[in-house]
Order: sequence, then structure tokens, then C-alpha cells
Amino acid sequence: MNLINSFSSFKNVLYKNYGENPGTMLVHTGVLGWILSSLAQVSAVVFNDKISPEQKSFLIPQEIADAAVNILSFYVITSSFKRFASKLVSTGKLTTKPIKDFLKNSGKSDCIGNSSFNIESLPNFGIIKNEYRPFKNGVDVIASVIGSVISCNIVTPIVRNKYAAKKQKQAIARMNANTPQMQSPRGISIEDYQKLSAMKYSGSMRV
Amino acid sequence: MLIVFIHLGGNMAFGSVKIYYQNVQQKVLNFLPNSEYTSPTSVKFIKNTGEKISSAEQRLILGASALMSQPFIDSHNRNVDEKTRKVSVARTIAKIIAGTTTGFLIRKGCIKGIKALSQIPGPNVPKYKTIFTPKNIKDNKTDAFAQYRNAMGTIVALLVMMFTNFAIDAPLTRFLTNRLIKKQEENQ
Repeated sequence: MNLINSFSSFKNVLYKNYGENPGTMLVHTGVLGWILSSLAQVSAVVFNDKISPEQKSFLIPQEIADAAVNILSFYVITSSFKRFASKLVSTGKLTTKPIKDFLKNSGKSDCIGNSSFNIESLPNFGIIKNEYRPFKNGVDVIASVIGSVISCNIVTPIVRNKYAAKKQKQAIARMNANTPQMQSPRGISIEDYQKLSAMKYSGSMRV
Repeated sequence: MLIVFIHLGGNMAFGSVKIYYQNVQQKVLNFLPNSEYTSPTSVKFIKNTGEKISSAEQRLILGASALMSQPFIDSHNRNVDEKTRKVSVARTIAKIIAGTTTGFLIRKGCIKGIKALSQIPGPNVPKYKTIFTPKNIKDNKTDAFAQYRNAMGTIVALLVMMFTNFAIDAPLTRFLTNRLIKKQEENQ
């Protein structure tokens, strides 16, 4: 019974929060996607019997650090884009003709572009709601998509490549120094290691 | 006393950051010109984007743009040797193709599935078809309800992908990577 009630509440929360905010939904589900994808990557290492405990102690923190970069970069960039786009619309900086006329008729033309001004808080907002909401949702979604493209396809790959190269060099240096942590039980050449490393660290596409 | 002091200090610090953030935001807003969309086509496009783009389309856009940018970034990564770079590019392309295909199809499928299972309760509607319908919903044609279906479909898709990531993505990526590396070697 409790489970049924929780599911029912979950559905209502989802409807209430995302029903009129598709941009926010894209940001949040994107972050959730990254978290689940990262969990899968970490658990792939944790539950892999072929990886020795010594190697795991190196790979698990590495995977977690990698996940943190992915999640933070996605959230910070995408939500910033979305918030800024929302601000442009809610302050009347970015409008359509009916919205601008509404502001003019409400005597709020001088408030346009003021960061503390919000069209939605006007008492007569109901008049323009049907025009304003779809426009704002559209701008939010476009901004979220642009933000996610910049984050996933430009910023994250560059950051990851730098990070992976640094880690790869450290690992090769350790292997050369014959430290027991990096010795593979089956024996692996540097060339093979580099190949494996490149297979692991390239691009950054979530599930 | 100490707690009150810390609390006040924290509030003041937070207040200062907030004021600074608002000032920066205001400066940016002042710098940008006012924009008004007068073309009905542009306004219609923006409104339609908000209604039609779900996480599935977002994934497709991400995948298409990733194919244009990520292999380029990997091929210009001077931090690794040439051999590593080539494998890296092959791996990236394979990952994008596998991830985008499965990501798009599973998201689309789950959103469609949720749509079928979130009908408005009625005499001719079986109970299982209302399993994902929130309480007190009377109209399934509103934009808010469509967005709810997208959100629920995406969440279900993410859970499904926790398994398909291992079952489909990983082997498909490995297969495509090997094919691409083989092709690279043949071209040399």
C-alpha cells in the first residue's frame, strides 16, 4: 500500500514539476542519465573478476573522478544556459509581439530587462499566459539543448582527454618503475596498455 | 552565541554572493539588446520546439553534433601518441553510433509506452492503461500532460538503459570499434 502511495505521489510530483517546465526536465533527466551511466561504469569495474584488487583500487577512484567531471560539467553548463534563457524571457528582454504589447498595456515597458522583474508575477498575467508559456518553454528547451551540446560534445571531451592523458602518463611511468600496483597478472606490453587506455578514454557519451 | 554568529556570518556571505550575482546578471541584461520575434514562422518554430522536443530528440541532436565535434577533438589530442589517437577516434565514433542509436530508440519506445499506459480513466479503458496516469487528470491533450509523459518515459528509459548499456551498447561499441580499426589499418 505504501509503495502504491509513493508511486502515486511520484507521478504527481513529476506532473507538477515538469508539466510546464520541459527545459528543466531535460536538464534533470540529463543529469540522471549521467549519474546512472556513471554508476554502470563504476559497477562494471567493481564487479569485474578479471580486474585485480590492486587495479581496482586505481580504477574505481578514477571512474568516480571521471563521473564527477561529466555530471558537473553537464549540470553547470546546461542549467546555466537554461536559466539565462528563462531570465531573458521572464524579464521581457526576449519577447513576441503580443507579450510586448501586453507589457506596454500593463504600463511595465520600463521594467523590461530588469533582473528582478518577472512577467509571471504580474497580477494580470493570466491574460498573456497562453501566449507566454509555450514561447518560454520553447526558448528553455532550445537553450537546454544548446547547453547540453556544448557540455557533452565540446567541454567534456577536452577536459576528459587532458585528464586521461595525464593518468595514462602516470600509469606508464609507474609500469616502467615496476611498481607492483600496475603490474598486470597476465602481463601486458606498454603498447597494449596504451591501446586499452585509448579504448577506455575516448569521447564521453552517456547512455 | 557562536552558532548565532556563524549563522549571521553565513547569511551575510550568502547575501553578498547573491547581490554580486544579481549585479553581474543585470550588467549582462543591460548589455544585450531587446529582441522581439515578429515573424510568425520563428515564433511557431520556438513554440513547437518546446512541445515536440523530448529527451529522445535531444539525444539524437547530441549524437549528430557529437559525430561532428568529438572525433575532431580526439584526432587533435596532442597529449597522446598517433596510434592511441587513431584508436581513440575509432572508439569515439563507435560509441556515438551505438549510444545514439540505442539511446534514441529506447527513449522513444519508452515515451510511446508511457503514452499508452497513461490514459484518462473511463468505462472503456482497462485499468492497466491508467497505471501511469497522475491523480485528478481529466484532459490528456494539454501540453503539461504531454511533457509529463515525456518525463516519465525518459525516467523509465534511463532505468531500461542501465541494462541495455551492458547488453547492447558495450558489445555493439566493441564490434564497431574493431571494424573501424580494421578499416583504418586497411587504408594505411
